[in-house]
Parts: sequence; structure tokens; C-alpha cells
Amino acid sequence: MSELRIPGATPVAGPTAIQVARGREDVVIGDEIVRHRLASRVIHWVVAVFFFGSLFTGMPIWSPVFGWMAYFFGGLSVCRWLHAWLGVAFAAAAAVMAVVWLKDMVFDKADRKFNVLEYLKFADREDPEVGKYNAGQKFFFWMVVVTGVVILLSGIVLWWPTYFNQALRSISILLHDICFIGFFAAIVAHIYLGTAAEPGTFHSMTRGTVTRAWAKLHHPRWYREVTGDRR
Amino acid sequence: MALQGLEIRRSSASLRGGGTGLRKMPTVAKYIDTTICIGCKACEVACQEWNDLPNAHTAQTGTYQTLPTMTANFWNLIKFREVETPEHGLQWLMRKDQCMHCDEPGCLEACPAPGAIVQYVNGIVDVDPERCIGCGLCETGCPFDVPRYAQGTNKMAKCTLCVDRVSVGLEPACIKACPTGCLQFGDKASLVELAKHRVDQLQADGFAQAAYYDPQGVGGTGVITVLKHGDHPEWYGLPKDPTVPTTVSVWKRVIHPIGFIAMAAAVFGAIGHFMAFGPKKPKDTSKESGGEV
Repeated sequence: MSELRIPGATPVAGPTAIQVARGREDVVIGDEIVRHRLASRVIHWVVAVFFFGSLFTGMPIWSPVFGWMAYFFGGLSVCRWLHAWLGVAFAAAAAVMAVVWLKDMVFDKADRKFNVLEYLKFADREDPEVGKYNAGQKFFFWMVVVTGVVILLSGIVLWWPTYFNQALRSISILLHDICFIGFFAAIVAHIYLGTAAEPGTFHSMTRGTVTRAWAKLHHPRWYREVTGDRR
Repeated sequence: MALQGLEIRRSSASLRGGGTGLRKMPTVAKYIDTTICIGCKACEVACQEWNDLPNAHTAQTGTYQTLPTMTANFWNLIKFREVETPEHGLQWLMRKDQCMHCDEPGCLEACPAPGAIVQYVNGIVDVDPERCIGCGLCETGCPFDVPRYAQGTNKMAKCTLCVDRVSVGLEPACIKACPTGCLQFGDKASLVELAKHRVDQLQADGFAQAAYYDPQGVGGTGVITVLKHGDHPEWYGLPKDPTVPTTVSVWKRVIHPIGFIAMAAAVFGAIGHFMAFGPKKPKDTSKESGGEV
């Protein structure tokens, strides 16, 4: 929905309906549906910034192959402490995000039928019972929660190694690494599915809205719930 | 710190060492005969003097020991231990503790900073504070609990085997100061011969379990310690069969390669998926709301 403009006239001041609606989720305005209210989008991108900060300060410590990344932050010594603080910031932001999205991320009956290999074939027909988030998205959410906790705890041990015993430090090295690799693979999939693979999705995380057609295709039950459209 | 005068055999977080491998040098070692150590601590003083380390605030631990443990400013510590067994009665054991200069250093393997820990061609393991990032991972890699971190900077510090002296043909400061000949310095092969000879003497003198400590789990060490109770190195505060922690080896040799493969697989998997299955978009694209990215 765009503003009504009459040639030669001064545009009408004040927010449009869609601008107001963007503050609330699951609101239909014309052809657009608000999927992520402003608060959800902001917390998502705050988490993203801290995630990539942690990632790019951690990778040069992980392997010298990524040593070049350290120079963007002022060298490896800077990365050593910046990584820890960014990690804490990421964990804190992710905790807020988890709380905000928790109620939408509970697995339900429809999720049992989800088959990731079938899903990735990108067939036109989606299971009509898929709600606001499909099982893959919920799995990603819970992966972030669980991995986030493990990577935070092991990171604290690695941050102050002299306060912990050898066994705890050794196991933390492995856990931190495994979580990192898992996160890396998952974030590649997340970015790919959120941008190139499914057009319209990225817009929902920037401006907050999706089209009716998008909602009907990807999240049919959610589409029926918010529009009241029974088809 | 890393010396220009000595070639580097191995370097942390590097695929290869820094050396050309052209200049050959014998592996050097320190020989410690605990049976004739009198605990005079001349080596401690010499170490502090030569390395220009500040005075340490001593701590009374109920023994003659200067400090409970080594610190970033105290790299050479005589450990005084009392061990009582029915068989031997009360034993008063002293051993000079410092970096063991392992042939396969766990600290170097664990270190993520390129060139922060190096092993010179003569086997000396050294730390370059300029490159050290103070992460503390070397401590996790070390089976002897040697690395210590300077307050404030967090840089690791430890015995350098006086590489600055050795590289110009001098013996390490601790060796120079020892009044009993308990400490010797030289190429490792001849010191192992000396240790064997001394062990034979001790066995002839009634210490049937006498042995020298040169643990093969870390490829042998640059410190050879003669012990009259060679079957009980733990009585001297030495681990019985030290190895680089399995997790450190697994991490660097298994998890790292798997990690690279997984990361590449994720990226190329996404690209491949896009080419095979393409974008999933609503049939009626005319109503798409600016979703193209």
C-alpha cells in the first residue's frame, strides 16, 4: 500500500497504514502481511552483528588460514579479547531473541511430517499445515539456543584458562570448535534460504512484510490464520 | 624472543617451520642429576639475574621451596618434596623444575598465534612475546604445567634454555651457577650417555630403580633428569608418562580438517542447491513485493 498522491498536491503527512502495522505482527494490509514487527527485526540484526563479529574475530584464532581477518580488527591480540566480549554480547542478544521467539518455536504436530530432503526439492506444494515457522526453522532456532549455550560456557573456560583445570580446558577446546563448525554450516544454509533460495524472505527481515502469495506458498496455515482466507 | 641467529625447526600455527633446514645443529639438552643436587638455589638466582627478572615475593610453603609454583617472573624453581613410604622411609627429594623443551611440544601444537612459540633447530622451545596473544591455550597443551602469564599483558613466559647465551656458545645461566656439577649442558646424545653412566653407578650403589627421565610420549625432552627412584617420577613432581593431551591432537589433526571440509561443503552445497533446484517463489510473481535480493 502506498500513499495516495495527487499530481501537484502536497503529499499527505503522517504514517500510512502499513507503517503503523509494521509495529505489530500477523496484520494484513492489502496485499501485504506483517511477518516480523520492528522489535523482532531489530533483535535479529543485533544478534547477526554480534554473531559475525564473533565469527570473524574467532576464525583467525581458529586457523592461520583465516589470519587475514584479524587485520580488520587490529590484529590477533585484539581479536583475542574482542572475540570474548563479542561472544558475550552475542549470547546476551541471542538470549533476548530466544525469549521473543520462544512461543512461535514450539514444535507441533505438523512438524513431525517435515522431511528436510523433500523440502529441499523445492516442490511447489507445501504441507498445508505448516504454520508461521516450519520445522526446519524451528530446528535452526533450537540449534542456535543449544549451541549458543555450549559455545558460551566453553568460551568462558577458554577466556580464563588459568582458572579451570586441564580436563575442563581440553574438553572446552573441542566443544567450542564443534559448535563453531556447526554454526558456520548452519549460518550458510540460513543465509542462503533467507535470500537467494526463497525470494521475498529477506524483505520480511528488513521491512517486515511479505506478500500474500509468499505466505500462501511457504506458510499456508499461517496464511489462513492471519487472513481468514480458507482456500 | 625469536632469535635471528638460529633457524627455526617448528613454528606455532604454521604449516611449516621458518627454517630452510640447511643448517644442521645438534639437539642441545640440560642434564639434571637430582642425586647430587644440594638445593642451594644458585640456579634460581642465576636465572633471575641473567633474564633480568624482578625479585619474587617468596612464600612459605612449609618447605625450603622459594615459591609454591613457577610464575611468569620465576622460570626456574627447585621443588622440595618429602615422600614417606614404608619401603624407603622418609625421602627428601629436590628437583629443579623448568620448561622441559619437549621434542614434540604440546604448547607449540596448541598455540594459535603464528610464530608465537617456536622450536629452534637445536631443539630449544621459545616464546616470542611480540607474537603471543595471551590466549593461554599453550597451558592446555603442556603436560608439565609450565607456561605462565605475565600480569597485565597476559603474555606467556617460561624458561628459554638461555637461547640468547646458547646461540653465542655459552651455557645456560643455571648450569653456569651450579656448584655441584648436578647441572650439565651439551648435546643431547652425549648427555644421555652421561645419564646412563650415572644410572649404572646408582644401581651399583644400591638404588636398583634408578633411571633417567626423558619421556618418549612427548618425543623426549630437552631436560634429562636422573632420578634414584626412577620408577616413581611422580615423587619428584614429574608426570609418569606425559603426552600432549589427546584433545589437543584431536582438535588440530581431526576437527580442523573436518571443519574445513564442512565449511566448504556448506558453501558449495548452497551454490549447488541453487543451481539444481533454483529459487522457490510464488507462481504469481507480479504481486511480489520487493522481495528480490
